Amino acid sequence: MMMFAIPIRISLARHLGTLLATAALIGFVCFGFAATASAQPGDRGTLIVFADEQGAASTNAASLLPAPVLQRDDYPNIGVSSRSIVWVIAQMHLFFGALVLAVPIFVLVIEIIGFRTGDDRYDDMAHEFMKVSLTAYAITALFGGTLALALFLLYPQLMSYLTRAFGSQVLVYAGLFFLESMLLYIYYYGWNALRYGNRKWVHLTLGLLLNAVGTTLLVVANSWTTFMMAPSGVDPETGAIVGNIWEVMKGPLWNPLNLHRLIANVAFGGAVVGAYAAFKFLSATTPEEKAHYDWMGYSSNFIAILAFLPLPFAGYWLTAEIYAYSQQMGILAMGGILAWLFVIQAVLICTILLAANYYLWSGMARSEGSERYRWAIKYIATVLILGFLVWVTPHNVIYTAAEAVKLGGGNHPVLGPLGIMPAKNIAVFLMLICTFLSFQLYRRADKVIAVSWQNWGNALMASIYIVAILNIIFAGVYYGYFTNTVYKVGSSVIQVMSTLVVIVAGVLIDSLMFRGARTLHVSWGRVADRSQYALFALPITFTWLMALMGYVRSSVRTHWHVYTVVRDNSADNFIPTLQTVGNMVTLVTLLFLAFLLFIFWIANLSGTRQLPITVDADAAGARVGT
Amino acid sequence: MNVLSRTLLFSVALVLAFSGVTYMLPQMEGPAPKQQVINVGELTMESFVALGKELYAGKGACALCHNELGRAPDMLAFNVTEVSLQRIADPRYEGSAVDAEGYLRESMLRPTEFVVAGFGTKGSNDSESPMPAIDKAPAQLSALEIDAIIAFLQEKDGEPISVPLPVATAETTAAAESLPPPAASQGPEEVLTRYGCAACHSILASEATLGPDLNDIAARQSAAEIRESIVNPAAVVGDGFIVMMPEFPDMTIAELEMIVAYLTAAADDQT
Amino acid sequence: MSETTQPKKAGQIITWLVAILVALAAFYLMNHAVMSMQGLPLNWNLTPAQ
Repeated sequence: MMMFAIPIRISLARHLGTLLATAALIGFVCFGFAATASAQPGDRGTLIVFADEQGAASTNAASLLPAPVLQRDDYPNIGVSSRSIVWVIAQMHLFFGALVLAVPIFVLVIEIIGFRTGDDRYDDMAHEFMKVSLTAYAITALFGGTLALALFLLYPQLMSYLTRAFGSQVLVYAGLFFLESMLLYIYYYGWNALRYGNRKWVHLTLGLLLNAVGTTLLVVANSWTTFMMAPSGVDPETGAIVGNIWEVMKGPLWNPLNLHRLIANVAFGGAVVGAYAAFKFLSATTPEEKAHYDWMGYSSNFIAILAFLPLPFAGYWLTAEIYAYSQQMGILAMGGILAWLFVIQAVLICTILLAANYYLWSGMARSEGSERYRWAIKYIATVLILGFLVWVTPHNVIYTAAEAVKLGGGNHPVLGPLGIMPAKNIAVFLMLICTFLSFQLYRRADKVIAVSWQNWGNALMASIYIVAILNIIFAGVYYGYFTNTVYKVGSSVIQVMSTLVVIVAGVLIDSLMFRGARTLHVSWGRVADRSQYALFALPITFTWLMALMGYVRSSVRTHWHVYTVVRDNSADNFIPTLQTVGNMVTLVTLLFLAFLLFIFWIANLSGTRQLPITVDADAAGARVGT
Repeated sequence: MNVLSRTLLFSVALVLAFSGVTYMLPQMEGPAPKQQVINVGELTMESFVALGKELYAGKGACALCHNELGRAPDMLAFNVTEVSLQRIADPRYEGSAVDAEGYLRESMLRPTEFVVAGFGTKGSNDSESPMPAIDKAPAQLSALEIDAIIAFLQEKDGEPISVPLPVATAETTAAAESLPPPAASQGPEEVLTRYGCAACHSILASEATLGPDLNDIAARQSAAEIRESIVNPAAVVGDGFIVMMPEFPDMTIAELEMIVAYLTAAADDQT
Repeated sequence: MSETTQPKKAGQIITWLVAILVALAAFYLMNHAVMSMQGLPLNWNLTPAQ
């Protein structure tokens, strides 16, 4: 079904229709917030009395109540560590929430690509991804409800304070779920009914609205998290709520977390559906099935890595805002007791990068044109391994006195400098550039470029790589070790920009150079089985990483429920050991894996059909045939 | 081995490998904050300095930034008293300290008063300090604890300790863990006195005439109108009076209701 | 070596040289822009100005 066959005016009507629908939705949501905001005027501490028609008075007295001061006995005790219970339930809810919010984002994009190219494969793949997401949706809601119950049961005074702070915004959140459910069910179940022409436009619009509602749910829930870390709209002395709902929501960490979680969700979602594709690939019996799921796996990996590449920048913004809000909190995270977690993070991200790169290198076997690029693989692998070793090197290790004497000081003379941020920045940005290079080589492997200016294009591309790499090393070494702290920290932005320039230039130059290129044959399905394990490694590592970093985000509040406002005096108000953290994270990861297998099985089951049982009347007894 | 088993085995093995990494690293537990009751009467200068040292690395979290990594001046690496005097003599110094003790206390309570060159917040050109005020959350050190840290810093360099040993008084509280809730009022008479109503109105023993007589206000106004007049004095002004009544932003709802109830009950008594 | 490959080689070298110079200039300017925007100006030789 080709779009250009439709007259322009109808096409314009569709565009306008989509725009109007989206604008109406956004307007509706904003109205919802405005309504809640107007109910809580934000004078700082002034007592205000309203009189309604009957002359009855109501006041904003609730906003002048101070934050609760909790003692050990105020916490309900059900015999098991309350923190552990909430930890597991909350993390499960976040895993599934991330999945069901992310999948519709890239499903919509894939559907649009299918719509524009007319290639049915894209539309079918998008539909198949949504099937996985739909089952996960119910589980998300279950964990959400359980989480709410657990929080109100185990931390009643804290929840009383938080609901006071957010007021009717929580009802807006609940209301949005009705909208989300409606849109989700129509979007999925109406897929084949709204398949072509104008109806397809309606379907795409529904998909857009679904994503708008989903993103709103994300940012609303994020506001609770960031309020606990960096409260805004409260009186710093007493913790009384003095701001309106916007002031309470829009803390310094809200938007950084919004961006980080939005992008990370897409990466996570892509990785999970990639595992689905890998599983189906390994179970496939026909070459067509193998080709289909190989292609699906590649597409999922593409989405996951595309979203993964900007993540360090979003994470950097979040950490920079944490530092700006409270340097103490920032240093606790990266230089204090939680610093070891970032060494573990190094192990995890290096696993992700190695898995993603390995999958791309394996995938080169699909096309003969990849032979000319194979020489680069060993160099990229070397940089990845070296980068990993630098990143995982700690700065301070707890030595015994004898060991310190042998070393000649507190830090290793050679490896010590590798323990601080400049070295790690060099390592990670070079690793990101190498990953992008793997991706760029893979994309070029099945094409023969035909543009006349290809020498210039290739020379420019190569130069950008070389100069960017040198710039990253220069900025890291010079500003990192030979200037003062503020320049050292500021130089990391140079490294970020250098990496971004490589990525953006690579995409732009290649898209121009691919015009009129001859495409070589790509044998989908012709890839080693072991490459699929890279697609399993990705979501598992993402999941473990997500749980670990979620723990850091939560733990950085130390002994505060709401930082500087509501002190944590429960039995769990200490930072647990790394082993405990590792155990908890492994527990939630394995739980998630179990649920995920259940979801894949259900998705498979819904497509299975048992044939009726036939009985042979001639036989002496009934014979069951299938 | 079928696909499911291979997948599960690989997944579990990978997860356990990550878990294994956490077992290989040094195990540290962040201590829970303890309610430490300091018996002021039993303090010696030695134990006072020891308290300061403990606070420096512990509750005050000083060592988090003040170390050799360069984020803040490493106070353990130089003579704090001598350097404090140098800072006071710096031409950029505009604070009010005259000695090392004063400089240290000022640095803890108002860090932005003077920012040592090169340590300011990024982009502020050393005009703003990234250090939080130590008497506010999250550190929330009391005056006694701040003195202990100053004593520790002076003693570690062998300098004379200028901070006096705290004396046990009724006000001395150690390691304040929470802010006390606002004190509740006793009765309507105390509230009326506290807010100075009798200065302008006839109420209690006063016969002031700057504002309307409050003894029989309930005969002229309803409870809602009385409430409104207290909260928004300019809303309704009585005949012959001008707008002079101030607002009371610190009045709590309990106090407001107490006054309104008292004034309406006073009318009942008179009828 | 034939006459046609020598100019071709020279052409390639020039292409690469120009490409490297363009990249160097672009990144040099970007360094200045990025650091200035953060309130951390640089001298012409990329040393800190503060």
